[in-house]
Amino acid sequence: MSAITLIEAVNMAISHEMGVDEEVVVFGEDVGINGGVFRATDGLQAKYGKERVIDTPLAEAMIAGIAIGMAAQGMKPIAEIQFMGFIFPAADHIISHCARMRNRTRGRLTLPMVIRAPFGGGIHAPENHSESTEAIFAHIPGLKVVIPSNPSRAYGLMLAAIRDPDPVIFLEPKRVYRIEKHEIEDNGEDYPLGMCFVDREGTDITLISWGAMLHETKQAAEILAAEGISAEVIDVATVSPLDIDTILESVEKTGRACIVQEAPKAGAVGSEIAAEIAEKSLMSLLAPIGRVSGYDIVIPYYRLEKQYMPKIEHIIEEVKRLVEYR
Amino acid sequence: MSTVNSLKIFNLPDLGEGLPDAEIVRWLVKEGDTVALDQPMVEMETAKAVVEVPSPFAGKITKLCGQAGDVIEVGAVLVEFDGDSDGDGSSFTLEETIVPEQPEAAIPEIAKPDATQKTSEETPVSMDSNQVFNLPDLGEGLPDAEIVRWLVAEGDVLTLDQPMVEMETAKAVVEVPSPFAAKVAKFYGQAGDVIEVGAPLVSFGEVDPSSVIDATVTKIEQDESVDKKPADAATVVGAVQVGNKLVAESVSAVIKALARKLKVDLIQVSGSGSDGEITQSDVKQAKKDGKLVGSKSATPQPIAPQPTAVATTSANDDSVNKENPLDFKASPAVRAHARRLNVALSQCVANGKKGTITKADVDAAINSVLSSPASSASTFVAVTSKAKSAPKSVVSTTVQASSEPQTVRGVRRAMAMGMSKSHASVVPTTLMEDVDITSWPKQDSLARYVRALVFASKIEPSLNCWFDGEKFERIVHPNVHVGIAIDSPDGLYVPVIHDADSKDAGQIRARVQELRQKIESKGLKQQDQQGATVTLSNFGSITGRYGTPVVSPPQVAILGTGRFRNELKLTETGIENRKMLPLSLTFDHRACTGGEAARFLAAIIEDLQKSD
Repeated sequence: MSAITLIEAVNMAISHEMGVDEEVVVFGEDVGINGGVFRATDGLQAKYGKERVIDTPLAEAMIAGIAIGMAAQGMKPIAEIQFMGFIFPAADHIISHCARMRNRTRGRLTLPMVIRAPFGGGIHAPENHSESTEAIFAHIPGLKVVIPSNPSRAYGLMLAAIRDPDPVIFLEPKRVYRIEKHEIEDNGEDYPLGMCFVDREGTDITLISWGAMLHETKQAAEILAAEGISAEVIDVATVSPLDIDTILESVEKTGRACIVQEAPKAGAVGSEIAAEIAEKSLMSLLAPIGRVSGYDIVIPYYRLEKQYMPKIEHIIEEVKRLVEYR
Repeated sequence: MSTVNSLKIFNLPDLGEGLPDAEIVRWLVKEGDTVALDQPMVEMETAKAVVEVPSPFAGKITKLCGQAGDVIEVGAVLVEFDGDSDGDGSSFTLEETIVPEQPEAAIPEIAKPDATQKTSEETPVSMDSNQVFNLPDLGEGLPDAEIVRWLVAEGDVLTLDQPMVEMETAKAVVEVPSPFAAKVAKFYGQAGDVIEVGAPLVSFGEVDPSSVIDATVTKIEQDESVDKKPADAATVVGAVQVGNKLVAESVSAVIKALARKLKVDLIQVSGSGSDGEITQSDVKQAKKDGKLVGSKSATPQPIAPQPTAVATTSANDDSVNKENPLDFKASPAVRAHARRLNVALSQCVANGKKGTITKADVDAAINSVLSSPASSASTFVAVTSKAKSAPKSVVSTTVQASSEPQTVRGVRRAMAMGMSKSHASVVPTTLMEDVDITSWPKQDSLARYVRALVFASKIEPSLNCWFDGEKFERIVHPNVHVGIAIDSPDGLYVPVIHDADSKDAGQIRARVQELRQKIESKGLKQQDQQGATVTLSNFGSITGRYGTPVVSPPQVAILGTGRFRNELKLTETGIENRKMLPLSLTFDHRACTGGEAARFLAAIIEDLQKSD
């Protein structure tokens, strides 16, 4: 067992599955010789060869198209989009074909493929390297959108994504790629897809988050606990399809909900969660549903990026407003 | 909170009765005055008493917030001071004046049996470190449990969930499993000892952190040096945060998520991991074995005492008297409506879908109150209301159907709270009997009633007593302090004749006179109303033959004296006109036997029958 970071866990999961399933192939820009710009595929080409770890041209539409073709013929491709901001040339393939192949062929063809992309801000990169646009794909029926928040979940959910018979968009919160380590045994044990993880139990409010913001959310919960406010923390993990039952059960227990997301506020995954809570758990609500999120703007460059990112203080302030709400 | 710019702000503290607000009677200082520490600043009227509020600082007053007649909520700003002044608050910190939001009880602090405070001091409440395990609630909501026998010894190394000790609660002997994989350092009791829930049971040394299931953020320092190849962490722009902190995955969160996905009932799953931990494979196997939610459990449900269970229990204890809003299903609009009307959701009959309370249900609760004023005390919530316009004399015999609900505060609210408390705890039983008082000389009957209570308390002391139903303790008082229920336009007052057993009739009359005057002039102090050991209600001075007076805990008895009447009695000498006084004695049957109460009443009658 070794202590590894989130990015190393992604690498370990891919490597594990390539070792046990020869249908698994990896391709994308710089994934081979370079080992991926963040080192997600480091060492894989040396280990599994150029036939299975393939450097592609800078052509995202082609990357997605190849993946669909391979998957339709029974392979298990893992395609990397170098930054999520570059995924849009591939959107036609992903939305118009990848997401609906099972439906279009009445179940005859499924696409067991994974599209990986680092996403999210806070690393001082240009704006189209820093967005959180998970809602775009969460909106598309037929796609699973998975976001791990820590190394163990990156490992377990990546394995589950590769093994899933249908396409998974696997979004990696790059700000926390190396923020902490987990002891992970490379035993090939996957995690359940489509489920939330209740990371902290509490009684006063339910904090709902995913990806990098889970780190701020958990710290906020610690501080709130010291002030006597008991917060339950949920890692959504799979933002689509949403495990809304776990969220509703928690909100009905605590009576309050606050969603923490890095994405802009409007039309986001948080909006959908809020709407579900309002629809189904209204009678248990003691306060409005709170949202701590980014702003409805293009994420700023380096100098103002900090102003954009939701902070622990924002979460605490919103939680207090909700807990004191009368 | 206490300092804004150069100002010091003094918020109205709880004036000792757990009530949400108080009314300014009159200011004793002016803006611009320089006051000394503890100098009285203002007279405030709380539920029953007028209290002087002393200054927390020596300093100059810059602003008085409110005028005579204004109601100030506890915690709201009362006085602002010039911050540059000498804050001689060495024995006083403003933090302490920040008031607990939930009034604990309407009964004054002094009225509690001493033992209450003593035990709470002796009970260390929280787990300072992971190493002390406090006795959790063993599932029956009982306050303590007795150690039957230890199943392990000090120094033993335990695995997670290994049974440590057998504890006997009210009805069952329960095995308490170990919350950690760890070495036992110390036991906090031996067989036969009674341990309170929340008190330390075992302490551990060398806790294996991987066994602490719920520690989602267990952080372990690691001496491994920085990332091997930090320069090669990426080949693009950007600064990914790098940390070497080793963090434990919340295994239980993953197991629970998988169990939910597969609809597996975790209670039926036994763990195969080290220390009996449930693994993902166990859950998947359980799915195959059909151990699903809703299926019959093959093994009895084990008790899982986790640290969180202890925390929950103590949190609940704090809010015993508070309605839990989550017990009721209601939309936010309906909750707001109920709050506006000061209606407790617990008093509403839920007629909505799936047991929800509708707006109509709240309105119905209001209407049922208006049609029976007697029940109003229990329907309205005892909460802060900002309505200041409530007139002093509210509910009379008629209530206009069109009138808006009025906030009941002050004395009347104190009565409502006191009555609710009594109704919730006391087991009242009322005995009634007539006493022949024909032989009385002309005199003030009240002093005779007090004398009779003193006499009876000497004969049968168990009714001159305080009883604590939670701790099952009683204090039998050597002296008799008689509370006298006095009706006033403001509501019910129960001032006290202290040491009635050492006062003669004249002194008692003088004290009653003094109390009546104080009520009229709003000069009744808290100490005038504290410490009663038995109460007298002379409702017969208005009308009424028998009644069922309400015992005011921690007291255990109250005597009601009705209106006397002339009655033709068959005596040895023939038919005579006798003057009969009806008596009604209510006692708390938790604290006294019927025999004790009957002897007490007999003693009262014996004394009242005397001609002098």
